[in-house]
Amino acid sequence: MKARVFYRVLLGAGLVYLFLPVFVVIAFGFNDLKGRFNVTWVGFTLRHWADPFGVEGLSEALINSLTLAFLSALIATIVGTLIALALVRYRFRARAATNLLLFLPMASPEVVMGSALLALFIATSFGRGYWTILVAHVLFNISYSVVTVRARIVGFDRHLEEAAMDLYANEWQTFRRVTLPMILPGVAASFMLCFALSFDDFVITNFNSGTTMTFPLYVWGAARRGIPPQVNVFGTIIFLVTVIAMFGYLTITTRRSKVAR
Amino acid sequence: MSQAPGSTAGGETPAVELKGITKAFGDVLAVDDLNLVIDENRFFAVIGPSGCGKTTTLRMIGGFEDPTSGVIRLHGEDVTGTKAYQRPVNTVFQSYALFPHLTVFENVAFGLRRQKVADGDTARRVNEMLDLVQLGHAAKRKPRQLSGGQQQRVALARALVNHPRVLLLDEPLGALDLKLRKEMQIELKRIQQEVGITFIHVTHDQEEAMTMADSIAVMNKGKIERMGEPAEIYDDPRTPFVASFLGASNLMDGKVTSSSGAVRLADGTEMRVAAGGLQEGADIRLGVRPEKIQLGATAEDLRTTNRVAGRVTDASFIGISTHYLVDAGQLGELAVVVQNIGAARFPAGSDVVMGWEPGHCFVVQPV
Amino acid sequence: MTIEAVSAAERRRRRVPYLLMAPGLLWLFLFYVVPMSQLVITSLQEGSLERGYRFTGDLSNYLAVFTTYRGQLFNSLLFAFAATVIGLAISYPLAYAIAFHTGRWKSLFLMLLLMPFLVPFLLRTLAWRIILADQGTVVGIIKTLGLLPEDGRLLSTAWAVVAGLVYNYLAFITLPIYVSLDKIDRSLLEAANDLYASPFTAFRKVTWPLSLPGVISGTLLTFIPAAGDYVNVELLGNPPNSMMGNVIQNKFLVVIDYPAAAAISFTLMALIVTLVVIYVRRVGTEELLT
Repeated sequence: MKARVFYRVLLGAGLVYLFLPVFVVIAFGFNDLKGRFNVTWVGFTLRHWADPFGVEGLSEALINSLTLAFLSALIATIVGTLIALALVRYRFRARAATNLLLFLPMASPEVVMGSALLALFIATSFGRGYWTILVAHVLFNISYSVVTVRARIVGFDRHLEEAAMDLYANEWQTFRRVTLPMILPGVAASFMLCFALSFDDFVITNFNSGTTMTFPLYVWGAARRGIPPQVNVFGTIIFLVTVIAMFGYLTITTRRSKVAR
Repeated sequence: MSQAPGSTAGGETPAVELKGITKAFGDVLAVDDLNLVIDENRFFAVIGPSGCGKTTTLRMIGGFEDPTSGVIRLHGEDVTGTKAYQRPVNTVFQSYALFPHLTVFENVAFGLRRQKVADGDTARRVNEMLDLVQLGHAAKRKPRQLSGGQQQRVALARALVNHPRVLLLDEPLGALDLKLRKEMQIELKRIQQEVGITFIHVTHDQEEAMTMADSIAVMNKGKIERMGEPAEIYDDPRTPFVASFLGASNLMDGKVTSSSGAVRLADGTEMRVAAGGLQEGADIRLGVRPEKIQLGATAEDLRTTNRVAGRVTDASFIGISTHYLVDAGQLGELAVVVQNIGAARFPAGSDVVMGWEPGHCFVVQPV
Repeated sequence: MTIEAVSAAERRRRRVPYLLMAPGLLWLFLFYVVPMSQLVITSLQEGSLERGYRFTGDLSNYLAVFTTYRGQLFNSLLFAFAATVIGLAISYPLAYAIAFHTGRWKSLFLMLLLMPFLVPFLLRTLAWRIILADQGTVVGIIKTLGLLPEDGRLLSTAWAVVAGLVYNYLAFITLPIYVSLDKIDRSLLEAANDLYASPFTAFRKVTWPLSLPGVISGTLLTFIPAAGDYVNVELLGNPPNSMMGNVIQNKFLVVIDYPAAAAISFTLMALIVTLVVIYVRRVGTEELLT
């Protein structure tokens, strides 16, 4: 079948294109480089993997990135879930405006958002550092959280909450025992997505970090001087961890719905 | 069942009382100044076309919507404005709304747990109820693993186990196939009589309502047009809408010539009707149900008081009966249903005479 | 309860959605809306870091956007446009293939599509620097095919920048298209076939129109951030390739000329808001968040 072959080739080519840089990133973590610039392949070695923290400042940057990602994902998911609930379950007048306000951060260039925040912090003489980065990360994460959780809420029968209230559960009990278990996959997905977005963020962080260092900022700074292969090592680890988390999430959620049959 | 709002039979507190209930959604009046009294231990049906306000009314009784104005009383207690979980009322939802993440047992136990019933009692009551609806063997399953009919019974069990004083049913049989639906109609009626509480059943299926209910309220455009026992409102619908909604009916324009029971139809034919409530000279429409009309080849073949001539335009054999359409000239086309018990059948094109007794026709307002 | 009590209950119910949304919307308001207005205020100031800033209402910074930085503005729009078009050309067939021709493995392929974007953004872009290196295999192949002269290069050219932009925003453009393609009821296509439409006509008349919301959403989500990008230029391009993003970054973080930077940033934003408003006028806001 000509069409079959065509699509196979198409998908294959697409995947090659997509994974080529990934392969390069992983491979160059094993590069036995001589100088400072890790751009041409010299030879295979495991020494960078043996000593991943041996670079000045890298660990601190990593820790900052991890804690920021965790906190901003947590806050954004909680806040985003509340908004998603409001949007789906209630009719209210400010609906169109709210949708727009939530969409804009996703569509705005990071450069504009980052610089606007910076302008605010400067005008209010607010010192830039860890906390300003957190504020910025929560900001852009909220929209993504709303989208993710909302998708999950839309799919479930609104009468379930009424049924719970009919059966003597008050608002809090209804949320805890019926709503939350039902939307949990969406909430989990939101957390993971926000975590990834926060960890990987560069532009907005660049504008609002002051002297605090995060992993992407570290890489940027090192780009001129020559990026130590340990950065590739961690890039690979991050990649593998997130891939495993993603597959894990999928397996769990598909298994839950397979039990239904 | 009282027809006059506000009065009760025998002076006991009614189970449900709605006074002046209005519900507005923006500019639209879904429910318009509704007054309703429902006694204890009744199977009460509310029927009407889509958008007539019956579901909204039910939801207001259940506490899922607040009325824009008016008072709702349950067993004499004013519950207007209270939340659903504060009312001793339970609901069977149209989509069943079973909690997918809980087992059948936990679904049925949900209400009891929220009321802090002890575990031992809960287990006993849940199992009893599951046995009542014949689903004891499915206690550990999840709702997704059950058929539509089984899910419906779980929804029913989940509501009844809480011993509500009023049970609300929102078109619960809509999703079932015909045979199952008929079985469930009998089943629900039996359970209601056994448990002895008030059931309020909302449906658009008038046949279903007439099968199950002790009393029916027919709603149209946010108001109750007619309320009473099934036979009573079937034979005396009083408005054209109710006449057409409850079963089929033939309506002919005419004028009252005597308040003791005489009507002249649009083509001049004189009719005798049951006396009562007639105003001489008033424009009315005369209604007669298809099954009440007898057919004969000539006027002499019929012994009925009222007679109208016509020509058969269609005759359909349906097994237990034959459905005719008879063109009666100025009076329009009348539908006639004759049981197939050996009487002569009239093919299309034959001239016939239709007849009925005064007691078998009714008078409704023209509009 | 009286009528007043009923209305009080109904009023309480109406407040609920606003209460739920309050924390989030407040955050968005404080840190998105307010900063944007602050941007405008700053852009109308004059001064420097040492001397302090004074509000003057001077619009010269805005004029500069269209005069001094005309080249960068042009680059931003051109590169973003090119990236969007090329991205569309790549992503639509891919999304289509995954939605219609992967059968049981659909979820797997979707995962594979998204996986590369789990590698940190900067590392991915730097990897392209290696891949497109002058002595690298890829450039070599292109030269052999005759598409590039012997002494030509890809790195530090506009092509590399666009290539980087395409790659980095591919997920943003593919996902919405995939979602709307996946939503299409297969029986619609069967109906089209039943009504004598060839596969191509069925695509043209049924699939394509129904996938448009995703296409529009995806192009918006790509064009807009791409127009403001500066990383790709820094890592893969050359100063002549500078985009608006580079200017903003430069003015804010290097030269520290806040008013000028703010003006440029705001202009970019205004252009974008205009685009979004046009889009929203035609399509409405409900589709935005899917």
